[in-house]
Amino acid sequence: MNSRDKILAAVKANQPEPRDLPPHHNGSVAPAEDLTPKFITILEAIGGAAFLVSGYDRIATILREQFPGAKRIVTSCPQLSAFAAASSAAAALAAITAGNPHSFETVDLAILPAHFGVAENGACWITESQMIERALPFITQNLALIIPRSSIVPTMHQAYDRIAELETEALANPSDRRRPSDLGAHPTSPQAPQAPYGFATFIAGPSKTADIEQSLVLGAHGPRSLTVFLLDENLSDAGFF
Amino acid sequence: MSSSNHKDHPALAADFNKDEPRVDWHDETLWWVRAKRDRAAAQVPDWEILRDTASRIKDNVLSNLSGYLRQFEEEATRNGIVVHWAADAKEHNDIVLSILRNHKVDKMVKSKSMLTEECHLNQHLHDNGIEVVDTDLGERVVQLAEEPPSHIVLPCIHWKKEEIGELFHKHLGTPKGNADPQLLTYAARLHLREKFLTRRVALTGVNFAVAETGEFVVCTNEGNADMGAHLADVHIASMGIEKLIPQRRHLGVFLRLLTRSATGQPITTYSSHFKRPRPGQEMHIVLVDNGRSVHLGRKDFRNSLKCIRCAACFNTCPVYRRSGGHSYHTAVAGPIGSILSPNLDMKKYADLPFASTLCGSCSNVCPVKIDIHEQLYKWRQVIVQAGNAPAAKTAAMKTMTWVLSNPGVYHSAGKAGRWFMLNVPFTVKNKLNAWYLQRELPEPPKESFGQWYKKNKRS
Repeated sequence: MNSRDKILAAVKANQPEPRDLPPHHNGSVAPAEDLTPKFITILEAIGGAAFLVSGYDRIATILREQFPGAKRIVTSCPQLSAFAAASSAAAALAAITAGNPHSFETVDLAILPAHFGVAENGACWITESQMIERALPFITQNLALIIPRSSIVPTMHQAYDRIAELETEALANPSDRRRPSDLGAHPTSPQAPQAPYGFATFIAGPSKTADIEQSLVLGAHGPRSLTVFLLDENLSDAGFF
Repeated sequence: MSSSNHKDHPALAADFNKDEPRVDWHDETLWWVRAKRDRAAAQVPDWEILRDTASRIKDNVLSNLSGYLRQFEEEATRNGIVVHWAADAKEHNDIVLSILRNHKVDKMVKSKSMLTEECHLNQHLHDNGIEVVDTDLGERVVQLAEEPPSHIVLPCIHWKKEEIGELFHKHLGTPKGNADPQLLTYAARLHLREKFLTRRVALTGVNFAVAETGEFVVCTNEGNADMGAHLADVHIASMGIEKLIPQRRHLGVFLRLLTRSATGQPITTYSSHFKRPRPGQEMHIVLVDNGRSVHLGRKDFRNSLKCIRCAACFNTCPVYRRSGGHSYHTAVAGPIGSILSPNLDMKKYADLPFASTLCGSCSNVCPVKIDIHEQLYKWRQVIVQAGNAPAAKTAAMKTMTWVLSNPGVYHSAGKAGRWFMLNVPFTVKNKLNAWYLQRELPEPPKESFGQWYKKNKRS
């Protein structure tokens, strides 16, 4: 008998009488609550930054201010590809090619859309098709994520409900499932979610460690900063500029 | 224990306690983490419902583990992941080695995996000419120091920053005498980035594997599992067979509990869901039994297989905090390690169920409601019945049994004890009495309760 059959037989012989799954637990959250303040408070508490914005021009303005030294900026948002190209050295960008994860090692700032945020822990759910390259959200020195303000869910229970919905929606539109082939012009945006994933992750704040005497240090192996833009097109820009 | 040639928990704990200020520091650091866990749990109104739900989901998993394993294998294979089965540690290590050999690779990066510690993978690969670099910062520290992690979540919690500064000065060339955590972390970031970029094989652990979808989830704060996996041509994930959960939506329950219980954070920075290899990449998963299927058959102890490795029971344990992780001489220390390890080797780990005050704090903080302190108590009985108790304890217990079952002997023994303590206290207050070593003995009463009752019942 090979190990597989041996293990399965031993497990089957030793496992206890069948026990039912408990009733599905969905958290206890008031549905009408505005989740934006909670999301922002938690995200800031775990070392991230949040901006409530009216549109992509505003995002470009803020990023220009926050990362004046960034030379290599990549994005999968078509609305920001002009900003990324204008801010970067053309030669530096040319060396970065999708399909070659190592080439992303020099990226200073990656701007990526994500599907939604989770109020209880400040996390954003991002799937492979939004990342250009799986390694990018981790290897970039700084990461900016864009989510619709209306996308925030209260807890991880609603997050997994949403993940299942996104999957159903995307399976209904199989054309959305193609893999991005170049940096600038692929169709991902917060408005056009593509969910069936080979890889996806929740990102909550910048990479961090407290392994040295429990002292918190931001920027362990991954991004040293995380900025989340909450996009609300109904918002007035008056007072922002 | 008396039967084996290594130092047991009391002896190793005594070594750790030679430096008292250090014990206080270790104790306070871990208590601080425990307090953070309390604050995080208190902010979740349905915390107790979550614990109960998680525990019951795991009941279901254990009762149908063979079915879920088959389902996971089928789904993962459909997703393009190569599934391997390892009956024991040796087979696991051989599988990993053969994957490396197939790719003619002699260097590998590894993120945190307590299973590979349990299997002593690093040593096996080292003996076969493979260099393994641990990429979690805490694990890299203990690896450079050539010692095992002392805590499953905080591997170098027993190290002071000045000592890490010295270690990094020696190995990574940081300035001598600099113990700034920021600087040391940055040095490790540069040192390990080079490893991530040049290694073609990455091994990670697994926090949860979903039977329904064939995907697995890896949680880190540093991002080291992802840096390794996404830059490598080959990703190997090692998991114990008990890590399965039935459905993806159950992750909602477990991810809400895991990090709050571990460090008091609302969630780890990264909760990565691996479902398919990226184009051109190979993804392997090794399902490891190594005693788990036997443990599943032990009615009183099988619940410990629910463990999600948060280490809340370590941080709360008065014995762990004051004896240090290395005193448990096993990959998984603390209260949970003390009930898991005797399953692997009852003789070698016969001392561990006794490394507890049975105060029950471990069971109270456990996010999946494992009855840890009750299992510690039950293991003691199993171990003593199997003849694995230390000789001195066995003799003492036999004497006590004789005294307590003979009223005449009991009364004279009590009288004698009081006389000795009153008149010649040095005969009990000395270094030969193990009970006296860390305790002050009480003032002996002038009479026993029996004598007092006889005198007072008439009046």
